[in-house]
Amino acid sequence: MKHKIERYAPPGINIHLEIRYYFTGLLCAFLYSMLFLIRYSNSLSKLYGWVGNNRVILPDAVMDDFYLILDSCLLGFVIIAVAVLFLIVYHYMYHYQGSKSIYLMKRLPNSRELHFRCITLPLTGAVISMLLAVILLFAYYGIYIACTPKECLTPGQWQKLWSVLL
Amino acid sequence: MIEIKNLSKSYLGKRALENVDLRLPRGEIVGLFGENGAGKTTLMKCILGLLPFDGEILLDGSPVSRRNIASLSFATSEHSFFPNLTPLAHKEFCKEHFPKFSEKRFKGLMDFFELPLKKPLRSFSTGQKNQFEVIMALCQGADYILMDEPFAGNDLFNREDFYKVLLGILEPNETVLLSTHLIEEVSGFIGRAVLIRKGKIIGDVSMMDLEESGRDLVGYIKETYHYRADRVSRALNELTDTEE
Repeated sequence: MKHKIERYAPPGINIHLEIRYYFTGLLCAFLYSMLFLIRYSNSLSKLYGWVGNNRVILPDAVMDDFYLILDSCLLGFVIIAVAVLFLIVYHYMYHYQGSKSIYLMKRLPNSRELHFRCITLPLTGAVISMLLAVILLFAYYGIYIACTPKECLTPGQWQKLWSVLL
Repeated sequence: MIEIKNLSKSYLGKRALENVDLRLPRGEIVGLFGENGAGKTTLMKCILGLLPFDGEILLDGSPVSRRNIASLSFATSEHSFFPNLTPLAHKEFCKEHFPKFSEKRFKGLMDFFELPLKKPLRSFSTGQKNQFEVIMALCQGADYILMDEPFAGNDLFNREDFYKVLLGILEPNETVLLSTHLIEEVSGFIGRAVLIRKGKIIGDVSMMDLEESGRDLVGYIKETYHYRADRVSRALNELTDTEE
């Protein structure tokens, strides 16, 4: 029992269902975040025009700012992180459902067991979700910088992003 | 020994326990009696550290803490097991947390009550749930076993079997504090009776003393509670009297 995932959840709770919902949520958040690529490719194509059969950069073409293209693309991960934190409350409430197993948990010699089982997985889920958001933020920023023609980039993209976020 | 000194507990300003002093030495089977709301459950929850209180509760000379909490076990009619677990999974959980857990006693009692090992506890009948609750309290390896109305919902035969088994399996150093309304049933099983009323201990007597004085437990409780035997007939008279 020690190394199973159940060890990190309230005894008897359907943790596999919670995990399934969590990963489904992550997948949806990831797919939603890919909207960035569509928006980016739209903005990128606006930089170009056709001269005969040649695709050329339009004079004075300026790429849209990164934060404008990104918009709410990573919001799904934040929503998931907040939602899984609500699971902490559910995990505590679980000990009052069908019985008062809270009495047993509060009587355990290990005082941290109750909190460990209620908090560990939701907190890990929230951290993973936010970590994915950060990784994707860097990945999308990398794509933005690497694939946008240098002459179309305006300086201070990263600073603009943070000024919007903060 | 459990020593309770000057214990008081209030709920939103309402006194539930008032200056309770009680000593429960090892090896005693103590009945805790009182009307609904007298403070029996509150007293047990205070002993277990489930409720904050004023006063002092010592367990073998030390305050109840995580270091000695395994010496206390609890069976409640509210049930404290995990309903989604099977008895086997529950046993594993308890074995992991209570080093003195008695597997032998668990197996013996599960066999005796013919409880299924691999069915989720939520599918048990109320009687079976009570039995399992008591089994877990008895198997934890605790020196002090607190039982709060553990047999509510069990039939008479079942309860009698349980008293017999309990008397048979208890070690000399195991203490039982049993709260129940089944006074007559447990009178032959307990060694001492403690009466609580409106949060105060109003009676504490050994069954031996009671026997020597020629009284029975029900009589003692009625006497201590100042039970008015004519209460029912007077009420009935008042209710059935024709208005003048």
